[in-house]
Amino acid sequence: MSGRRGRISDEEINELISKLQALLPESSRRRNAIRSPASKLLKETCSYIKSLHREVDDLSDRLSELMSTMDNDSPQAEIIRSILR
Amino acid sequence: MQGRNCTTGKSSTAFKQELLKNLLRGLRARTDACAFSAMSVHERKRAVKSSADVAMAAARGVGARWPKAILAAAAASTSSNRSSCQVRSSRFRRVARRCFFREKRRGPAAGVAAASSVDVARRLVRRRTMALRKVIPGGDAAMDEASLLREAMDYVVHLRAQVDVLRRVSEAMQIRSSLLRYAPSSIHGQEASSSMRQ
Repeated sequence: MSGRRGRISDEEINELISKLQALLPESSRRRNAIRSPASKLLKETCSYIKSLHREVDDLSDRLSELMSTMDNDSPQAEIIRSILR
Repeated sequence: MQGRNCTTGKSSTAFKQELLKNLLRGLRARTDACAFSAMSVHERKRAVKSSADVAMAAARGVGARWPKAILAAAAASTSSNRSSCQVRSSRFRRVARRCFFREKRRGPAAGVAAASSVDVARRLVRRRTMALRKVIPGGDAAMDEASLLREAMDYVVHLRAQVDVLRRVSEAMQIRSSLLRYAPSSIHGQEASSSMRQ
């Protein structure tokens, strides 16, 4: 299933498109225009990934600040793991 | 609830646990090499972000391309120290360039009825496909549309999990450090004594 085939069937693409659409946040689905669903979808997916990236960046920043105010003992890590289980 | 059609090989919880384990190991390894308190703020942030991405990629394993791309980039940056700094800043550059890909709608050019809306639509799809490739690690590699969409889905699903894990770790650390500050002796018996004593 690598990209060696000349043409992917339209049906397969449409299936992927609807699956991908199901992953995106609600708001983008409602505004989806019939006119060019593919390009709309690509744009929404791109925006969504970027916003997830920003979230990861912000959370990483927060985490790095928190870590700098704590001891660097490894027992801390074990404890956190146990809290989260 | 979204994600019903998600294409992950592992269950979501198993993946998050794996990610968490990798993250903690990675962070510990970094702090063993160089104490966080000794790093600059910027270096620290970079270390955490990199650990988070590597943890996510390692937890995903095979079955998608993006993990390999992340791990390759991380390996390259540790050896040359050129950095994930470049990756970070180019991420922000990409955000700024979003406007660049805004659709330009033109009326049919005089006398060139063949520049149809189909062509415009096709060009737009192409531009946006290129934009999508840029935000997916390894998306630049040659792959057909269908594979790219699959990569995008896979990446989104696992990015969400990464966000969730990071959020929980931050919250747990926050709770923990406020507990320590105000009532160090009242933390659960076992772990309290040895590690918590300041």
